[in-house]
Amino acid sequence: MNWDGLDIAILGPACAAGLLVLATHVPLGQQVLRRGIIFIDLAIAQVAALGVIGAQYLGIDEHSTSVQFVAAAAALLGAAVLSWTDRRWPQYQEPLIGTLFVLAATGGLLLLANHPHGSEHLKDLLVGQILWVSWPALLPIALLTGVLLGLIAWRRERLDGMWFYALFAIAITASVQLVGVYLVFASLIVPALATAGMDGSPRLVAGYGIGIAGYVLGLVSSAVLDLPSGAMIVWTLAFAALAAQLVPVVRRVHPSRTPVQPR
Amino acid sequence: MCNLIRIAMCTMVLASTPAHALSVFACEPEWGALVQELAGNAVELSVATTALQDVHQIEARPSLIARMRRADLLVCSGADLEAGWLPQLVRQSGNGKVATGAGAFMATEQVTTLERPSQLDRAAGDVHPQGNPHIQLDPYRVLAVAKALSIRLAELDPANAGEYRRRIDLFSGQWQAATARWEAKASTLKGRKVVVHHTSWVYLLAWLGIEQVGALEPKPGVPPTSAHLSGLIETTKSQAAFAILRAAYQDPKPSDWLAARTGVPAITLPFTVGGDDQAKSLFGLFDSTIDKLVAAAK
Repeated sequence: MNWDGLDIAILGPACAAGLLVLATHVPLGQQVLRRGIIFIDLAIAQVAALGVIGAQYLGIDEHSTSVQFVAAAAALLGAAVLSWTDRRWPQYQEPLIGTLFVLAATGGLLLLANHPHGSEHLKDLLVGQILWVSWPALLPIALLTGVLLGLIAWRRERLDGMWFYALFAIAITASVQLVGVYLVFASLIVPALATAGMDGSPRLVAGYGIGIAGYVLGLVSSAVLDLPSGAMIVWTLAFAALAAQLVPVVRRVHPSRTPVQPR
Repeated sequence: MCNLIRIAMCTMVLASTPAHALSVFACEPEWGALVQELAGNAVELSVATTALQDVHQIEARPSLIARMRRADLLVCSGADLEAGWLPQLVRQSGNGKVATGAGAFMATEQVTTLERPSQLDRAAGDVHPQGNPHIQLDPYRVLAVAKALSIRLAELDPANAGEYRRRIDLFSGQWQAATARWEAKASTLKGRKVVVHHTSWVYLLAWLGIEQVGALEPKPGVPPTSAHLSGLIETTKSQAAFAILRAAYQDPKPSDWLAARTGVPAITLPFTVGGDDQAKSLFGLFDSTIDKLVAAAK
């Protein structure tokens, strides 16, 4: 037990970062789950990282803000490709996403073979650490989240095709650097999965509730148990999702599951 | 139940009362052990990493920030070794005392470093402008760091200056005697050759007069190419290396692979305090390292 870390000055920025990530990821996650393209966030994050490595290969400074634009541009390009394949070969979308993921990941390794300076940045892009978040760094993310939420609310029913992929690419590029790939994946999928039996705004509310409970519980347990925060939150998110199944509104028996007929 | 709560509250109060004059935050176990030698119980010590972790990268935990907020003195290797997490940790803690100046003690700034590039060329890869930061396996550099650190402790905590002086005198004497013992024991190693996992052994090898003839992963984090590996098998055999060195925290697979193909034994050295059962202090660290090298060279 360790009570030192239980300090709002330490956990506050991390908690705010988590809430910002949840704000866009809970609605986007429902789309991801509905489309059955679970690993798209890993693929987009990897493409963004590949863009950063490519930019360094061409001599752009790794610490400049232009790197952020390169990352976003690469992610958008990847999103455009996936949006096109979604229309062209919808039945193969999931394997195509998987292929894009491994191509982007190994493409980075091939580029880095002659340029190892990018390796640190690649890691930063993929395993952002939620505790290192500072208040000033959250300001641009808050603005971006506001814009993305506005667009999501505006498109609402028509959040598909290029719109979905583009919004998703921008949201992922920002959130992965903030909290890391594991937390992004969990924030997208776990609340959506836990509320799969629900619809509309009750589902959104339940998803946000599970997400917030998971982040707060995770940050507090990581402080008290002295364990890495990102990994801890992934587990408390899953715990919150399971606990939510005790609420009758969240849990709904799927009518499609019919018992096997005896011979 | 009431008792339990009382005990819990007492522990909290005890934990939060600053019973020591100085609170020291050490980045690596070797500097934690050195602070232990030089200050004993006069300071409150917390060590951020263990010997089984790669100090280039550590996971953020709330307690690390909390301990950094309390610290009066930071004792770290410096030279970019902790560049991946220390600046963020210091910034996040908002503790101005350890950001720069007397509260930030960097071991590599107290000695000359090896492998300092004569010119900075980014294309050359992972070059550290301040040289190789893994200085803890050269006893002469450790002693130089100890002397500078003792002076720093006395500066920050003048009330205990006498105790710090007593301890550094004791440590210097014991350390110099031990150094002579280690050098005598390792004299047979002079001129022998080794292959290393990463280039983290330069100070040890320079001290003992051992020659490094190859490295498995010259660029950290980037897998070696097949041309590099086949060249390395050739070098390991033709140069008659007596061992392949790896640190306790490193993946044994690459060195075992090379050992299987060349018949040269791969040995795990503690690398820092806590790296094996024998390396419980700085003295134990050198005892274990020398013993293992001598045993492999027989």
